[in-house]
Amino acid sequence: MREYSEKMQKIASDALEKKEVSLVIGWRKKDFWWQSPVAFVDDAAQARQLVWDPFTVNNPIKYLLDQDCHEKTGVFVKGCDSRGINRLLQDRRLERDRVVLYGVPCDGKVDAAKLKKAFPGQKIKQVAAAGDQLSVTVDGGDESVPAKEYLLDKCQSCRYPNPVVYDRLAWEEVAPRQVSEESRFSRVADLEQIDVDERFAYWSRQFERCIRCFACRNVCPACNCVTCIFDQAEPRWLGKASDMGDTLNYQMIRAFHVAGRCFECGECERICPAGIPLLDLHRKIIKDLNGYYGEYDAGLNPEDNPPLGIYRGEDPAGFDES
Amino acid sequence: MSVVKQEGFEPLIVAFCCNWCSYAGADLAGTSRMSYPSNVRIVRVPCSSRVNPSFIIRAFQRGADGVIVAGCHPGDCHYHSGNFFSRRRFTVLKQMLEFMGIEPERFQVRWISGSEGAKFASVMAGITQDVKSLGPNRKLRDVR
Repeated sequence: MREYSEKMQKIASDALEKKEVSLVIGWRKKDFWWQSPVAFVDDAAQARQLVWDPFTVNNPIKYLLDQDCHEKTGVFVKGCDSRGINRLLQDRRLERDRVVLYGVPCDGKVDAAKLKKAFPGQKIKQVAAAGDQLSVTVDGGDESVPAKEYLLDKCQSCRYPNPVVYDRLAWEEVAPRQVSEESRFSRVADLEQIDVDERFAYWSRQFERCIRCFACRNVCPACNCVTCIFDQAEPRWLGKASDMGDTLNYQMIRAFHVAGRCFECGECERICPAGIPLLDLHRKIIKDLNGYYGEYDAGLNPEDNPPLGIYRGEDPAGFDES
Repeated sequence: MSVVKQEGFEPLIVAFCCNWCSYAGADLAGTSRMSYPSNVRIVRVPCSSRVNPSFIIRAFQRGADGVIVAGCHPGDCHYHSGNFFSRRRFTVLKQMLEFMGIEPERFQVRWISGSEGAKFASVMAGITQDVKSLGPNRKLRDVR
């Protein structure tokens, strides 16, 4: 991993020194082993703080919307992040010539919770990737575990590990993982099987944990409106009290607003402090759109029209058309 | 939770009717002296694609037991293509509401033209009957 980090640092310091960009967005290491938050580097000398490790999962592209003061910004993009770039381009929220994209092919990021569970009672000090193994440093010494088993759920079903849009690649591409349609939609299909009241009970159990922190909205590359309807005071679409009706309203409308535009990066589910399986809701919509109006993968081509923005005269309908 | 009496339950149905077809259909039902349940409250909208999904969920939250969106038949839209967009949008929304555990009968979408007064009356009678047998909407309702 060190060599990858060094490649990133070199790209960033070169670009900043040559004044190609005035800011580079990447990742850095924070206090704990599982923390690799987004880093902002505007000075070549600081580029050495950039890292690439099993926890650099945060999607940095949403921060591009706040970087208007920089004429040109460089940003490191994984496969999922690069589809977010296409998302912002398609939504006309980003000018392509004001960003320089450094593609970082990614073979999946590690779920710290899964690792902690695998080492109960032991204090993990450091985790490093070594090929397809993870080297975990605990009190008793180093232990090696297969990385594949500890990946985030969203990474296990990732179909685009390589950036789909970039100006230069930091290192060679990785082999894409084979993800079957069944495994992608298996949780949705399971939920569709059960009775409607049981399904409501299931979602009530999930959403009663929702504290409406709006993290799922803030992290979502498709939720990029300048003014969000949930923040509007007049008309007020969403009540402020902690109430199940309002929570369901928020979650349904949030999912609906990204319908046909969500590209399953899974950041909503990862960021959720209550661990609500939000991606299932998005996958349900994607499954329906694919079934009714043809297969569509969002975030691949910024020139596309999303499926809810177009129509065909012979479209089928999911309701009684008689 | 207060106990809601099931006996003699009269549902509240909110009907979003497009100005050019379904609202005219409602008018025709009236001028032809057809009767349909008084549970239906009509909201006139310029086009079925004017109906924002938030309207529907908000209606459920504020006391509606059923919501119906009625628009022109595909191809007949006064604005050329509005109802084609509604068709895609409400297909997704209807499946999503069902996936979240809302009974599919509570939210309906129908195409009713200006000449279909009888159809308007029968559709409204139908959804009222459907929702009456389901009972009051407690799932999405604002409890405050």
